[in-house]
Amino acid sequence: MAKVSNMVLLNKPGEKILLLGNHAIARGALEAGIALFAAYPGTPSSELTDTMAAVAKDAGVYMEYSTNEKVAFETALSAAWSGLRAMTAMKHVGLNVAADSFMSAVGMGVEGGFVIMVADDPSMWSSQNEQDTRVFGKFANVPVLEPCSVQEAKDLTKYGFEISEKYKHMVILRTTTRSSHMRGDVVLDKLPDEIVNKIRRVGKFEKDPKRFVDIPAHSRTFHPKILENIEKIREEFNNCPFNRIEGDGKVGIITSGLSYAYVKEAISWLGINNVKVLKLSTPYPVPFGLVEKFLEGLEKVLIVEELEPVVEEQIKLWAYDKGYTIPIYGKNIVPRTYEMDTKRAVKAISKFLNIDTPIDFNALEEKYKEISSMLPPRPPSLCPACPHRNSFFAINKATRKNAIFPSDIGCYTLGVLPPLSAVDTTVAMGGSIGIAHGLSVSLNGATNEEIYNKKEVIVATIGDSTFYHTGLPAIANAIYNRSNILVVIVDNEITAMTGDQPNPGTGDTPHGPGKRIPIEDVVKAMGADFVEVVNPYNIKKTTEVIKKALDVDGVSVVVSRQVCALHRVSQARKKKQKLPTFRVNPDKCTGCKVCVTTFGCPAIFWDSENNKAKIDPTMCWGCGSCAQICPFGAFELVKEAK
Amino acid sequence: MVKEYNIVITGVGGQGILTAANLLGWAALKEGYKVRVGEVHGMSQRFGSVISYVRFGENVYGAMVPEGKADVIISFEPVEALRYINYLKEGGLVFTNSRPIQPVQVSMGLAKYPSHEEIKDIVEKNFNAKYLSFDAESLAKEAGNIITTNVVLIGALTSTPDFPLSSQTIKEVIKVSVPPKAVDLNIKAFELGLSKAKEML
Repeated sequence: MAKVSNMVLLNKPGEKILLLGNHAIARGALEAGIALFAAYPGTPSSELTDTMAAVAKDAGVYMEYSTNEKVAFETALSAAWSGLRAMTAMKHVGLNVAADSFMSAVGMGVEGGFVIMVADDPSMWSSQNEQDTRVFGKFANVPVLEPCSVQEAKDLTKYGFEISEKYKHMVILRTTTRSSHMRGDVVLDKLPDEIVNKIRRVGKFEKDPKRFVDIPAHSRTFHPKILENIEKIREEFNNCPFNRIEGDGKVGIITSGLSYAYVKEAISWLGINNVKVLKLSTPYPVPFGLVEKFLEGLEKVLIVEELEPVVEEQIKLWAYDKGYTIPIYGKNIVPRTYEMDTKRAVKAISKFLNIDTPIDFNALEEKYKEISSMLPPRPPSLCPACPHRNSFFAINKATRKNAIFPSDIGCYTLGVLPPLSAVDTTVAMGGSIGIAHGLSVSLNGATNEEIYNKKEVIVATIGDSTFYHTGLPAIANAIYNRSNILVVIVDNEITAMTGDQPNPGTGDTPHGPGKRIPIEDVVKAMGADFVEVVNPYNIKKTTEVIKKALDVDGVSVVVSRQVCALHRVSQARKKKQKLPTFRVNPDKCTGCKVCVTTFGCPAIFWDSENNKAKIDPTMCWGCGSCAQICPFGAFELVKEAK
Repeated sequence: MVKEYNIVITGVGGQGILTAANLLGWAALKEGYKVRVGEVHGMSQRFGSVISYVRFGENVYGAMVPEGKADVIISFEPVEALRYINYLKEGGLVFTNSRPIQPVQVSMGLAKYPSHEEIKDIVEKNFNAKYLSFDAESLAKEAGNIITTNVVLIGALTSTPDFPLSSQTIKEVIKVSVPPKAVDLNIKAFELGLSKAKEML
């Protein structure tokens, strides 16, 4: 169990190690001789980006955390134009941000292999929607590769670079939360000499305006060329080493990506062996030659895939044109929403074959429903000592909750939960400011208009990384159009939700110091009507500044700056520093419950026997905020920091 | 070599669940098994309910333990064992750390936390399973650091008679996984969990 960066750089072909899906993709990219990697972090893709950050220097790779996915995409694209193998990674909604450049660049092609890793999140474990990137691939005419295991995640990445370079066409490597965050055994291949010897590769850009300038006259030539290329790649995928036919029988199952894993388990659990399986790792374009071979002698077929019927629609359309009459089942049996799993595969296959499931799932579900009804919910929450909790608490206090609270994508979205309940909307990265502005002009009018009257208070919250990601154009718009909003930028000096990546506000980069861009300087330069920086650990001062900001007409900005508690604690532990802790003095606690009903720190719990608050010392990270909010001074410092 | 062995590890985000899963995964790999470990990352783990899966054997392809197929559930918190009880096989085994962590909703008086007896009863009656609850945190403290609670629970798991991995292998993995200074106390935590569970089984 060595350090991930050491494992990923291990040059021992044939060695078997346990890797996370995302780590394996990083390894695959290195084995393929990648020269540039640029990305904005997004769960479940982040570990790929972090791994590249950790190994870049030792592998001669240029790596950057870009401010958003579109910028990352453009950075990697131009490397691929310059003949380098390049990669970007994002979560599914990140592709929406990159979509503008992505859709237009497909027809320009690439010189070096270009792999776009997109991690989908079926069941939305950590996302705002459930979208299937395979549909995006089909829309853009970009081939999609989808691994069924960690080993394949590595090998398919390498294959992606080869295909991309061979056809001069960008390629999507699509994972899901489950394949990105699955650990599995992986056998390593050789690393190329350039990677082993840390040789930073330099590209060469050949000017070709007909190709790289998409004025209408040029881009008119793109679309037919793209379609022609896709058909060539479809042919190629007939021989893709990751697509194969297994087993024999009169009934067949076609399955793609990780669904193959669940189908294999389901077949074994059901104890059936007279079924033929077509395993696909190329859901788009589906190789029809291989499908044709597979269908020989079959009486009926089931297509098992997660989310949208991408493979199903391609095959059904083709089969109709070819005059096939055998029944093809798919989304009429297999669920179209949420994550695939073995149970779902077992249920679908049992229905398809008209057999019983190995255990009575309905009875189990009934039993579980009854049990879960008595369980207290435990949603994720803001950490103990999280500065965001204080920011929301101060906002609630300053506005008396008499305001509309548009918020954004980040840890602070958890401010939606009681007792803070200070998030009314979230749509997408950077959306808080756009929504706040729209609400302001819709409800109150613009401050320079005749009808302007200040009825509704609107307080947007947005994190530091999100601010640089897509908050910048939104705040420029709000200031320019004379909005009346307060934007509280909850700056915890790190991109916390995805695992502590740096951003322009920190000024750090994976290869040493970059240049720090202070948020307050940016908004001042843009012309915000009020700008002040506060430390949310001082609740009283923060509340006062927010009140002051609310009195100003126009766009007010309060930068609420305090480093992420989780990050601070992990740094302190590394340095063996002891954190202070607090406790409740039972003589002073009156049982008023203000701490649990308005603040909600997970380290404070309610002792119902004594009707007093208590602090769990193992969870207290010593921020001392509880001491500031208790009206009776019942929270006391036990241990000073060392 | 077993054909398939399924472990579910649950608890509250931040308790060291991923580390425990990774340790067991490496031990299984060392013994020559095909291994799958399933994890939760990102916002979904911030002090919320968390589940990880460790699976090994030739029948294993996906990262998630199928419902009704877990040989054992290891829980870092009592109510979290119940939350994922649908994964347990009939006649399976549950090990849990006995200290409850109250969710904020309970502190606020919006939800109730079930009693120890209620939890035990549900597991035993509905799944014909063995439910073993013990203070793993005290044993971890006894070993030298509460952070080793996850290793105490792994020790307990290793003591079960039909557990396929040897304690020797797990100890070897612990030795190369933790910082050199922490090796002794982790091994002690492992041994304490192992003997405690032997006592209870």
